[in-house]
Amino acid sequence: MADYENFVQVQLPRLLRYATMLTGEREQAADLVQDVLVKVYRRWPRIVDLDHPDRYVVRMVTNGYLSWRHSRAARLIAAGDLPDQARPDDFASDHAAREDMWQRLARLPRRQRAVVVLRYYEQLADSEIADLLGCAQATVRAHAHRALTTLRNGLTIEQMARAKES
Amino acid sequence: MDIEQLIKDTFTEHEHVTPDADTVLAATRQRIYRRRPVLSRPLVVAAGVTALTLAAVAAVALIRPTNNPQVGAPIPTVADLSMPYSLDWLPPGEVNYLVRRINIGATTEDPDTPLYGGEYMLTVTADDQTLDIDVQQFRMVSVDGAAFKSGPGTPVTINGQPAVESSRTEDPGGYELYVAHPDGGTMYVHVSGTAPAQQLIDTGRQIAQNIRFPGTTTVTPTFGLRDLPDGVRMCTFGVNGSEPGTSYQLGTCATMPTILVNTAAADDPTGTPGQPVQGHETRHLDENGYHRLWVLDAVGDTPVLVAGWVPLTDLYDIANRLVLPH
Repeated sequence: MADYENFVQVQLPRLLRYATMLTGEREQAADLVQDVLVKVYRRWPRIVDLDHPDRYVVRMVTNGYLSWRHSRAARLIAAGDLPDQARPDDFASDHAAREDMWQRLARLPRRQRAVVVLRYYEQLADSEIADLLGCAQATVRAHAHRALTTLRNGLTIEQMARAKES
Repeated sequence: MDIEQLIKDTFTEHEHVTPDADTVLAATRQRIYRRRPVLSRPLVVAAGVTALTLAAVAAVALIRPTNNPQVGAPIPTVADLSMPYSLDWLPPGEVNYLVRRINIGATTEDPDTPLYGGEYMLTVTADDQTLDIDVQQFRMVSVDGAAFKSGPGTPVTINGQPAVESSRTEDPGGYELYVAHPDGGTMYVHVSGTAPAQQLIDTGRQIAQNIRFPGTTTVTPTFGLRDLPDGVRMCTFGVNGSEPGTSYQLGTCATMPTILVNTAAADDPTGTPGQPVQGHETRHLDENGYHRLWVLDAVGDTPVLVAGWVPLTDLYDIANRLVLPH
């Protein structure tokens, strides 16, 4: 099944990076992509005939993430419980600020996180995100707005200033 | 912009969390091959030097019985399918396989005769050690065009033919080799697994040294096709040995295949009941012109799906040409 193998080898790094940004965790990303690739294999004759099989598979990863029933995400978030208000000395470096943001992203509801990842990591337009998620653009904008509000909440004035400078 | 830039930087900084692609690919292959092991038909390759013989029958042809078999006429049987090349050597162990033959066009001298390429995806297990082996024919890739993750590769010679190889020693290790084919293009061999690096290298080289054209290897599909309509060819077949799955792509082969025929998951069929096919119930579904027809319980309890951007009557025509196991 050469074309399946070729497709996977070309797409896999991107899919794994995307899944990592969605799940925030290496093992979950690997599991999620594996699940999808096994399904892709089973449906390959149908998928290969699509105009954009790569987009279809990204959608499968997204849907897999949104419908995932694994409990590890909840456990990880609980283990990494955040202080409500960040302390200034936590942000002595840009690295600390990004680590803090990484944990805030982990607390977002899945659909909001998916929108954030698609918009700021995959750099998709809202119209493309809407198409991928199967919703209206207004819904995408609403998810993004709520997500940004949540992510801003608790950031210190110092950190906001630092983020502006970076 | 401020927080948005911080989010972007956060994602970029965490790209290192991404799992290793080779590991995920290997695990995916394992899952694909392991499914439904109770139905697996593993091949046992005797120590070192046994040819891969996937079926007992060497000569292969599509069965072409008459359109209207009469009472007393021989019942069509599922015909074996031939691969364009053979692997005359495999490491010892139990072999699970997926093989595929693919139409890759035709020569300008003889445009009516399809050219076929092929691929073997094998998992060889022995003594708790598993090797994943992939052998493909790349008619459009030269040795000079070989691409490795680890660098440009090292030139070697295999059976007098120029080749280039690359070995990855970290766990899990891997070995890749492109060797020129006398008729053009290359053969690609990839061996990966938990074996020592030198074993992967030796295995890959020995496989490459024992690829034989034309192939005599045949595989037994779970169901066949007979007497295809005029102008319709079998462009591709795929046979999975460990999960008894079979797929065909049919069409003129000059353009994208138009009809897919394959074994489907038992819970796949949807749509509305249709006309019986060879005594089997059917379901069909129209998705904006893409028709699907499931022949229920065609291979044991497994349905066979016939699908394509063609009228439903064409799908019934193909379904009536299925050669199903008795």
